[in-house]
Amino acid sequence: MTRMPVHNFSGQTALVLHRSPEIGQRIKDRCDRLGVKAKVCKDTIEEDTARNADTLILDIDTADDSMLPWPRAEAPMPLVGLIGSESPGRLAWALAQEVDAFIPVSGLGNLFSAMVIAHEVFAKKLERRTREIQLVRRSHGRLDVIRAVLALMEGGRDEALALKQLRTMAMVEQISLEDAATRLLAERRMAGGRAI
Amino acid sequence: MLDRAANLLQCDYQLALTPTAIKPRFSFYLRGRGFFYGVGILVELRLGLIFSTTGSYAALGQSALAGALGAIESLQRNDAISIRPMIADPGGDMAEYERLTREMLESGVRHIVGAITSWSRKEMIPLLELHGGLLWYPCPYEGFECNDHVVYLGASPNHHVVPVTDWIAAQGMRRVFLVGSNYVWGWETLRLARDCLMAQGIDVVGERHVPLGADTPDHVLDEIWDQNADCVIDSLIGPSNTSFLQGLAARSKTDRPAVQVASFNQSEADLAEIGSAANGLLSAGSFFEENADDLLCEAARRHAPNGRVSSFFATSFAAVEMINAAVQRAGTDAPAAVFQAALETPVTTVMGTMPIDPVMRHAMLTPRLAIARNGSFEIVHCTEAPVAADPYMTSQTARLPRSTPVPQRKLRVVR
Repeated sequence: MTRMPVHNFSGQTALVLHRSPEIGQRIKDRCDRLGVKAKVCKDTIEEDTARNADTLILDIDTADDSMLPWPRAEAPMPLVGLIGSESPGRLAWALAQEVDAFIPVSGLGNLFSAMVIAHEVFAKKLERRTREIQLVRRSHGRLDVIRAVLALMEGGRDEALALKQLRTMAMVEQISLEDAATRLLAERRMAGGRAI
Repeated sequence: MLDRAANLLQCDYQLALTPTAIKPRFSFYLRGRGFFYGVGILVELRLGLIFSTTGSYAALGQSALAGALGAIESLQRNDAISIRPMIADPGGDMAEYERLTREMLESGVRHIVGAITSWSRKEMIPLLELHGGLLWYPCPYEGFECNDHVVYLGASPNHHVVPVTDWIAAQGMRRVFLVGSNYVWGWETLRLARDCLMAQGIDVVGERHVPLGADTPDHVLDEIWDQNADCVIDSLIGPSNTSFLQGLAARSKTDRPAVQVASFNQSEADLAEIGSAANGLLSAGSFFEENADDLLCEAARRHAPNGRVSSFFATSFAAVEMINAAVQRAGTDAPAAVFQAALETPVTTVMGTMPIDPVMRHAMLTPRLAIARNGSFEIVHCTEAPVAADPYMTSQTARLPRSTPVPQRKLRVVR
């Protein structure tokens, strides 16, 4: 079943990083109509304020890394980039920051679409990063798989049967083979090395 | 005084109106209290009226066009600008909407009242953006839009979907079937209806979409019957709607008790076409015939093919009243200035005052629910005061429950 993207932002907060008070106010008004409480910042944002915001809307014409209190491309919330000049250098900066959605400054009427896209892209980015971390962790768990198979072979099983049993344990618990191996070894240690 | 007036004439002429749109008649005029009065000159506004008065939803277009023409005629009797209607009929053909809108805008028309379906409005918007035109859209729609070249005068989903679904819940209905025309109006109103119904614990037992202009096939009625639905939300338009309601009524006579039908946009414009099959139908609207005063009823008798006031008729009428007042106040037909004038001085229209949100560009409306009986609507519910449009449904904050972590169980060997 396809997941429905977030399309109701009522009660959320947004930070607007834009040098122009007039544009900042227009974005703030539009956020207000979407149920989003927006705070406009002119040139820099404080870390505590930023980390509590649900969305950051920023002017990619003038923003730079020093304005953002996190390493490049590690924003903890969805980013909406406001396109002004379309200069390749600024677009490159925004892409390096992994800005999640873009709208032209002249197209603020489509802010809702940009927010829906930004939140969905950000959610998928988090999922992808989580999967990558899991893959790395699993690759580090291969030695535990060998140890677990050897431990299960102590009961007289051959390696094929031991591996099959480990797979079954993983399937029943709906965890990876590596996690099952790690957990089996931990439980064996707790049980004083007795077979369980 | 005359020198100053001459300057103003030149200024307004250059800034605002196309040369053909001004016809000097007298030699002087006045400006006072911020208002521009055409005393001494006849300011003629060419107003585009793009409605499909033929094709699959012709009845709605005819009603809306009649409302605009009725307002123009009515305003001519008063102290108003001269409005020359530029009428175009796309016949329900999307390509024609694009062609006719382009031709109209290229000829210098800057204000259009028109479009019935969201599909047609979305065809017109890129051209309005290109030419700097302004569309005064007089129809209920599904929300989730806010374009700088449109003024939304029809009902938004918080004006129709929310009151209708609340009413269904209040009646104790538990099994609702959704049926709509296969385009954005049907898709989005039914999606919103599903969300609102599910938030109230009501089961949605089926959903079907019918091609625009087609009769509703029997298998849709079979499904409604098979699912034991006690209510159907009907977002069909044109012949799909008529055939559906007539088919459902025919079955109700021969089989089980009638299924309640609820609509977000059924109006008097095509109620007669449906006949007695419409009896009992609940509809949401910002205006019903019952709300019309003598002026509006007389205008409908003179201009509407069926002689009836509908929300389409009344909203188009009100749109022209608002344009007239705003152009007079702005002293120009420049869309940005006219829109600003409309914001600053809401006029009392045949529908009452309809203040426009300066950011979202939607009018405040009074949501009403009415039940059809013998060819007319009887209002059964009306809010006490006009309600601001909430096109993005931000007030509907129901969220899906957060997933709870699954407790870790102790591992065991499966033999």
